[in-house]
Amino acid sequence: MSTTAAPQPSTNASQATAPALLLALPPLDSEQLRAAFGHLRPVLAGLPVLVAYPGGGESTDLPFSTVAVTPTAAIPPIHWIHTAAEYLNAYKMMSEYQAPRCLMLGSESWTLAPQNLRAMVTVAMENDTDLVLPRYTMSPYDALVNNIILAPVTRALFSIKVHTPQPLDLAFSMRMAERLAATAQRCTAANQNDALLWPVGEAATAGYNTQEVTMDTRSFPVPEVTDLTQLLTIVAGSLFSDVETRATYWQRARTQATVIGSEPLVFSGESHKPDVTTMIETFRIGYKNLSEIWSLVLPPNSLLGLKKLSVLEEQNFVMPDALWVRIVYDFLLAWRLRTINRAHLLGALTPLYLAWVAGYILGGRKEAHIEALAAAFDSDKPYLVSRWRWPDRFTP
Amino acid sequence: MWQQIQEALSGSAHRVLSRLASLLPGLLALMLAVLICTLIGAALAWVVRRILIAIKFDERISSGAPTSVSDFAPRRSATLLVSRIVLWGFVVLGCIIGISTLDVSADSKDQMTTFFLPYVTHSVGAIVIFLIGNLAARFLARTVLIGAVNMRLQYARFLSLGIKWLVLVLTAAMILDHLEIGGSIIALAFGILFGGIVLTMSLAIGLGSRDMVSRSLEKTGPQDAFPTPPPQERPKVRHF
Repeated sequence: MSTTAAPQPSTNASQATAPALLLALPPLDSEQLRAAFGHLRPVLAGLPVLVAYPGGGESTDLPFSTVAVTPTAAIPPIHWIHTAAEYLNAYKMMSEYQAPRCLMLGSESWTLAPQNLRAMVTVAMENDTDLVLPRYTMSPYDALVNNIILAPVTRALFSIKVHTPQPLDLAFSMRMAERLAATAQRCTAANQNDALLWPVGEAATAGYNTQEVTMDTRSFPVPEVTDLTQLLTIVAGSLFSDVETRATYWQRARTQATVIGSEPLVFSGESHKPDVTTMIETFRIGYKNLSEIWSLVLPPNSLLGLKKLSVLEEQNFVMPDALWVRIVYDFLLAWRLRTINRAHLLGALTPLYLAWVAGYILGGRKEAHIEALAAAFDSDKPYLVSRWRWPDRFTP
Repeated sequence: MWQQIQEALSGSAHRVLSRLASLLPGLLALMLAVLICTLIGAALAWVVRRILIAIKFDERISSGAPTSVSDFAPRRSATLLVSRIVLWGFVVLGCIIGISTLDVSADSKDQMTTFFLPYVTHSVGAIVIFLIGNLAARFLARTVLIGAVNMRLQYARFLSLGIKWLVLVLTAAMILDHLEIGGSIIALAFGILFGGIVLTMSLAIGLGSRDMVSRSLEKTGPQDAFPTPPPQERPKVRHF
């Protein structure tokens, strides 16, 4: 670590007493900062909250304390997700200002409904929960990578039923921040400030308690990465690495951890179905060209399932959940064994992911389908554990 | 006359046999040098391997990165790759020492080192080029294939094969040039083959994408006075 989080002169910082909550804002330009402060004003009025924001900027006439900080670790220009550097900086600030809890908000936080933000602040301040996660209300066609890979894999392997394992807004306790900072430190030391951390895995392995807070919809920042393959490589690749690191933990059979406030997923109102023609076409082209690569990763039974899928008409096109679960688990195993180059591996997953998404959109079961998929991941976990331990064993 | 032939034959046989006899200690020394260097190399490779395993070299080198040196290493292990480089480095060193010994043991006018040594080093270089070329061809072919499939290009396999053969032809030309075999014929043949592959690919891709090009040209053409209203835009999927 080069420097510590250094407080700059703040116009409105009452630092006589330690704050009950540190609210960490992401790097914002002056206009965004003004919007964020305007949004926070009615929510935080009168609460012992210290709002920390990177860089300088105006902060006059605010009913809460603010401080401009110089980040310890350089924050990469990534706005759609929290990076290791941000977690490390949050911990440093918590230590500096002796804040027992931290609420980390993502970009475009001013689009959060004030009552949702208030609920998050209240839960973070009043409860003894180590990790508070949001459960956003979204369209059924939003956050599909999260709903069909990240959340069910996290749920099945870490035995914890959370819906947002890679949250944009989250709150955590000091001891949770300490654990996250230790992991983040390893990443920043290797010059990987843009690495992703997985707070749910950290909380699960440490045995810390987790809570979910229902949130309305918000505007999500658009990822700088527009290519789906690259997006999968960054997000799913990071999760696969995390799963690989924590293999000794999840291989043991465990009972499902209790998540306070956990409720079934609810999507926002009906919306028109997106076009699936290009998705199915990508899968069919993939089937014609990538079978050789898929055969290095998938067992014969899955290849047979894909063959059947490739000849289905569009109106009947649906990938069975069991097949998708096996595909994800086999790709996870290939990630660990480095059967093929890892970037190639996730590139080869893209047409299969699109095939499942196309079937999901055409099926129209929405919440029930996502829930059934998560249950399928849970029930097929012994397959992954078995193949993880004995990868050379024959699998039909 | 017969006497002279007999003398010439026996003299020649004597010279050849005595030269072979003078080479024998050198040959023995060559084998010994290779053997000793191989043993030293094997021992050092073992030590290097133990050290790298102890410091978890494989995990460090491949942590998080989607592409690492392990992808090109035998059995996906960078440790194994480094230890094998150490071993084969010593084998090559043994060969070089052995050839020099041959030169010392034979007549100085034979100058075997000046003939064999460059050839051995060139052969090692050619083998390295061959291995790297093959790995690069396979890696690039897969990268192009996956990228093209995800871009929904119907001719993805053809494009991937084209890239693979381009790299293989380039590798073969480099190896022959390195070994100084073929001279200018290689450069000429390489130029023809490389150009042929590029032309074939350009034609195939051009013909395959003509619909895409014509659609693009239509978009930039003069605007219709009475355009048809665009169809209602369907919602998009947000993946993350």
